[in-house]
Amino acid sequence: MKETIRQLTEAFGPSGYETEVTSLIKTMITDFVDEIKTDVLGNLIAIKKGASNGHKIMFAAHTDEIGVVVTHIDKEGFLRFATVGGVGISTLVGNRVRFPNGIIGVIYHEKADWKDLKIDKLYIDIGAESKEEAMEQVKIGEFGIFHREFCDLGNRLIAKSMDDRVGCAVLVEAIKKIKEPRNALYFVFTTQEEVGLRGARTAAYDLEPDLGIAVDVTITGDMPEARRMEVSLGKGAAIKVKDSSLIVHPKVKQILMDLAEKNKIPYQMEVLEFGGTDAGAIHLTRSGVPSGAISIPTRYVHSPSEMIDIRDVEASVDLVVALANKELNELN
Amino acid sequence: MDVKHFLRNLSESSGVSGYEQNITEQISTACTWADDMRRDKLGNLIMLKRGEGTKPKKKIMLAAHMDEIGLIITKVEKGGFLRFGTIGGFDQRVLLGQEVIVHGKTPSLGIIGAKPPHVQAHGEQNKAVKLEDLFIDLGYDTKEDAEKLVRIGDLVTLKREVIDLQSSLLAGKAFDDRAGVAAIFECFQILSTLHHEVDVYGVATVQEEVGLRGAVTSTYGIVPDLGIAIDVSFGDQPDLRESETIKLGNGPGIAIGPHVHPKVYDRMVKTAKEWNIKYSLDPSPSPGGTDAYAIQVVQAGVATILLSVPLRYMHTSIETIDYDDVKSTGKLMAMFIAGLNNEFVEGLTCF
Repeated sequence: MKETIRQLTEAFGPSGYETEVTSLIKTMITDFVDEIKTDVLGNLIAIKKGASNGHKIMFAAHTDEIGVVVTHIDKEGFLRFATVGGVGISTLVGNRVRFPNGIIGVIYHEKADWKDLKIDKLYIDIGAESKEEAMEQVKIGEFGIFHREFCDLGNRLIAKSMDDRVGCAVLVEAIKKIKEPRNALYFVFTTQEEVGLRGARTAAYDLEPDLGIAVDVTITGDMPEARRMEVSLGKGAAIKVKDSSLIVHPKVKQILMDLAEKNKIPYQMEVLEFGGTDAGAIHLTRSGVPSGAISIPTRYVHSPSEMIDIRDVEASVDLVVALANKELNELN
Repeated sequence: MDVKHFLRNLSESSGVSGYEQNITEQISTACTWADDMRRDKLGNLIMLKRGEGTKPKKKIMLAAHMDEIGLIITKVEKGGFLRFGTIGGFDQRVLLGQEVIVHGKTPSLGIIGAKPPHVQAHGEQNKAVKLEDLFIDLGYDTKEDAEKLVRIGDLVTLKREVIDLQSSLLAGKAFDDRAGVAAIFECFQILSTLHHEVDVYGVATVQEEVGLRGAVTSTYGIVPDLGIAIDVSFGDQPDLRESETIKLGNGPGIAIGPHVHPKVYDRMVKTAKEWNIKYSLDPSPSPGGTDAYAIQVVQAGVATILLSVPLRYMHTSIETIDYDDVKSTGKLMAMFIAGLNNEFVEGLTCF
């Protein structure tokens, strides 16, 4: 499991350019599914057919990560950039960027007070000595990610893009564990979540599931003087009640809570007062899809060092597996 | 049927966005006029009254949202006090001192407490308390006791009975937008005495307050030719400009804006004049706040209009309306629908 997380978090995949990640996932799961395909937005869809009378469940974990896009190269060879997805200024200064061809750069700022720091005061230095040299290595419109290696601290792991490669890892592990499911399972490794839940929207439209479940990260409140949030690392899978994109269907919430209780899977309840997940797009598809989310508690979300607890990941896998085999007539 | 009494009960009942089950049951029990009734996957209640026209009949959808804003428990603290967030845009300033119902294992009464004025720091008294500093007191001694009944994610509603004010005004906690649901009922009462060609879908939508969500899916399922959203709009009150408000007692507001189809607007105004129904013009240049905005862009697009019941003190526990406005909104819709024919509805596609 840790190795899966390492491989996935070290892969390159800013929103819109997720192919390296989806290809990697494809090699991990092809032998364990009945069918595998991609759609026009790049979503990777893996199917386990299940029993003929089961319900159709769509599980969604997003493959994309936040990053930067080059907007200008000046005559000294410094790059100006815009952000892709929700990137906080405070995580940028001194941080490193990696482009698809492996070129690395460092982000720094012009002379300015820290509190006045805005994106247009920042630049990327790739070590080029002129505009021409820079342009040989990086083009305008090139997407980059934050360059940071995976780190194993024991129960806790740090990496960039735990959001949401850890969710992908949960689905990959679940796919390997589930043998003959009761329900028809559509595991969707979605694209472009960080820029507006876009991959999940088109995949759900195509698949028309009976139930939608996003597997994504959520924030915790267990750090010094943190914002109030009753989710902690190591206390189990988080069952979402609401976020800005979704109010979880009461029946779906209850199904997940009952499954966790029955199978003695550690869990906690998540009320997220901002932010969204793929389930937000799924539940409004066509004439509506009852939807919910299983969240992996994560510290320092949207920084280059997102921290998770492996025990929460295992609990999330167990919950996905239990749901795959649950009779779901109450959703009819 | 006494629709006013029905509305009183609806306003006093609890049904926060996403948890409208209880309201749905009351509405479906009261709905005796529908030829067919169903709930969609998100919980929208769809009530159909068939028209007398020849097939294929045109479809008109009336949408009013049944959800209300509410609170949600985010933390159970030492001493059994509860911290909370909001669902929908509550006016935080009016939460202090409210009586609430905490919908835990069983519903129980609580209060939103405050620091006494005597012990407030200098300058604290003239500032509104922030949401994160408010808490609910259920009367428990310990966190453990409270956790037997309440858990994170449980919902909270305000406890507030409807009161009668002078000149037929009513004040209550959830007239936004159960007054719109009542207007649909008033409409159908009149319609049952009239002939109409089109099929009429009355929809009590869910989750409007968190992003017009029920309207999106219910419209997709119905695919109407014409959509009327019925919601509330700012009523006249001190400290608001006349241009920002519509007057209580003067009938519904008929919206003008990008979300209103001009031909539907013209016909609505004509209908009001023809039947001597009072109305206010309600310009809404930034129309994102009602179901009409969502209905308009579903599938290949829907000709849409918005009617508004004037309401004072929106998103507080004392939302105030004039019941006569609910009745005239219902009457205007009924007369509009009775006057519809296929030719007019087909003409809507030629903008």
